[in-house]
Amino acid sequence: MSIILTLLRKEYLIFKCDRAAFALTFLVPALMIYIFGMVFGINRADTGPRGIPLAVVNECDNPAARHLVDVLRAEKGFRIITTTTPDGGAERELEAGDLKPLMRDNVFRFAIVIPSNLIETSSPGVNLKLLSNPRNEIETQTVNGLLQKCIFSNVPQLLGQSMQASMKSMLGGAGKDKFNRNIAGAISESFGVNESEVLRELEAGNFGFDRMTSRDGDAADGGKTKKGNPLGELIKIENEQVVGKDVKSPAAARNVGAWAVMFLLFSVSHLAITLFEEKRAGLLQRLMSSSVRPSHVLWSKFLFGVLLGLVQLMALFCAGRLLYGLDIVSHFGQLLLMSAAAAGACAGFGMLIASIARTSAAAGFLTTLLVMLMSCLGGAWVPVSFMPEVVQKISVFTIPYWVIEGFMQVFWEGGSLARLAPTVGVLCGITLAAMSVAWWRFKRGTIFEP
Amino acid sequence: MLSIRSITKRFGGFTALDEVSLEISPGECFGLLGPNGAGKTTLMSLIAGLRKPDGGMISPGKSGARASLGLVPQNVALYTDLTAGQNLEIFGKLQGLRGATLRERVGEALEAVQLSERRKDVVKTFSGGMQRRLNLAAALLHRPGLLLCDEPTVGVDPQSRNAIFDYLGQLNRDGLTIIYSTHYMEEAARLCSRIGIIDHGKILALGTLDELLALLPFEDEIIFPNTSETKLFAERMAPHGKLVSENGAQYRFFPQLKLSEFYRRAEELNLPARLFAQQRPTLEAVFLHLTGRTLRDTK
Ligand SMILES: Nc1ncnc2c1ncn2[C@@H]1O[C@H](COP(=O)(O)OP(=O)(O)O)[C@@H](O)[C@H]1O
Ligand SMILES: [Mg+2]
Repeated sequence: MSIILTLLRKEYLIFKCDRAAFALTFLVPALMIYIFGMVFGINRADTGPRGIPLAVVNECDNPAARHLVDVLRAEKGFRIITTTTPDGGAERELEAGDLKPLMRDNVFRFAIVIPSNLIETSSPGVNLKLLSNPRNEIETQTVNGLLQKCIFSNVPQLLGQSMQASMKSMLGGAGKDKFNRNIAGAISESFGVNESEVLRELEAGNFGFDRMTSRDGDAADGGKTKKGNPLGELIKIENEQVVGKDVKSPAAARNVGAWAVMFLLFSVSHLAITLFEEKRAGLLQRLMSSSVRPSHVLWSKFLFGVLLGLVQLMALFCAGRLLYGLDIVSHFGQLLLMSAAAAGACAGFGMLIASIARTSAAAGFLTTLLVMLMSCLGGAWVPVSFMPEVVQKISVFTIPYWVIEGFMQVFWEGGSLARLAPTVGVLCGITLAAMSVAWWRFKRGTIFEP
Repeated sequence: MLSIRSITKRFGGFTALDEVSLEISPGECFGLLGPNGAGKTTLMSLIAGLRKPDGGMISPGKSGARASLGLVPQNVALYTDLTAGQNLEIFGKLQGLRGATLRERVGEALEAVQLSERRKDVVKTFSGGMQRRLNLAAALLHRPGLLLCDEPTVGVDPQSRNAIFDYLGQLNRDGLTIIYSTHYMEEAARLCSRIGIIDHGKILALGTLDELLALLPFEDEIIFPNTSETKLFAERMAPHGKLVSENGAQYRFFPQLKLSEFYRRAEELNLPARLFAQQRPTLEAVFLHLTGRTLRDTK
């Protein structure tokens, strides 16, 4: 027993000396919990997505349509877009024809069109058109849910109007008025309420559906007409998927970027560790005493990282093809370009770690910390649109964000090289920045001192 | 050939080298003898241009004649997952060797350190001595004019040590200038034509073995057992020279009085002359004389 106690004490003493282990055990989890909490929205009073861009085109002059837009606007989950600024042009109202191109460019992924025939006259019902780019499943489901909530809370009025309209077309204007007056008279007689008030309500379409729907509406899935819900059948939402329709394996195409970036980051950051091993073995001394310069070491490791990353990505994609039928041939050029850019950024990250860490342990620690943080913030685990707006602003400074974005453009949108160029550009910029810092540190730092 | 003038190197507030000056002439084998922490590796790394001194200068500069030097680092600096041949090929290429020349030199180097049969074996399967030999071979592929050996025999079996010594001796006879650092005085004495004794970042003495031994104020040192009978005698003799107890088993005494006087006093205590062994002093005695400590048990 005393042997175990002695060994236990030894473990404790060693642990106490190891600052990295100490930080890893106590400080980092606290920090991570805080950041994860922000990302997953644990700390917020009302959780859920924030500001998912939703384009709204209102072609209907009915007041109820305007009301629907207001309801959508009031929903915090959405950021309503109603205008567009074409290249070199002035800002103007969005039109239905603008939607698809903008969606293909990922300016927004969801759009709702309120058609001029929002309220049917031939039969009672409400027409809406929803365009979507379901590049992220969670986001798409959430948007559907939010839309239902907004539409259903607004639906009683819409439906009432719709019924009024269909009555009018059936009975003619005079017949409808008479019908309303009779109903109002009957209600006021039976319930002892003011007849003119009832009539006013009826003419505005308030049939009391709200009291019916408040119960059903919450649980309903009215977007796509649902059996068993009488209201669902009245609301006709035409769903159109604008992007990713032809993708053969949607789930794989959506997730491949997130898989790729985690693999990449971990494997290339191993490069940093090898540098410290070489230093410990005195190999850097030996190299430096010949004609090798620090920059040679930096660039050789970087290039190896890029090649390793490329090969790794290709292996990953081939596995994706074999297992899930991921389409890697249709856009092979873009895929190669994007893979190179991703591998470059990740290798640059590895070299940055190598240049700022002082020991192999510190490098390992920093890698774990930053890869987790960046993956979390960059949207590898939770869609970026679910994060608080502050966090969303930080997301764009992470490598995973752009890698995921790029692979999405390749696999989901089948984007052209031109479409991919900005993303690749950002990744190249990240690479350049990381390598500049690394180069500067390599020149001035102590790693090459024996 | 190599001139080191008032080199100073500090690590924070700690002075690792304090105004060290040395002249190394072409073709000589210079020994740098000092205990652990004396500053040997630091001096080597300055000569190799791996660090910049805080003061003083070394000429010629790194880009001049010093560009072609070979460094045998204190650690075994090899890619242990690769084979002996692969390691030498990499280091040879980094030294600018190509094609047939490279193959030839790798073959020669492996031959010289008696590792030809192990060429295709992975280095981590080698014994410590074999790794040390390969470590040496890797520094010689490009036939440097100056070889820096930083304690190349630490943890080496006697056989490998002899192999290394023979090879270095032969290289030196063929005209290679060698700077050899060690904390083993036998090595310095055996291999080096001139020796600098270094301690706490300072060169304390510089010269050939004979010149260094001549620094001693006595001719011989005396060794006698540490027993209850000799204890009193040892205490009495302590003020008359330097007395060191080795492992509690025997005393080494560096007398500063005449030997006849020493033996007379021994007789007074009825200690027979056969207890005392007299021997020519070694560099150990010089170091002790200079620092008051032995080479081994200093920090
Ligand atoms: N990078 C360093 N940082 C701080 N101190 C160092 C460093 N390198 C060496 N030293 C110190 O300088 C002294 C000389 O070291 P070194 O040259 O390695 O001695 P030797 O090779 O003779 O054993 C030692 O006290 C050592 O602790
Ligand atoms: Mg040393």
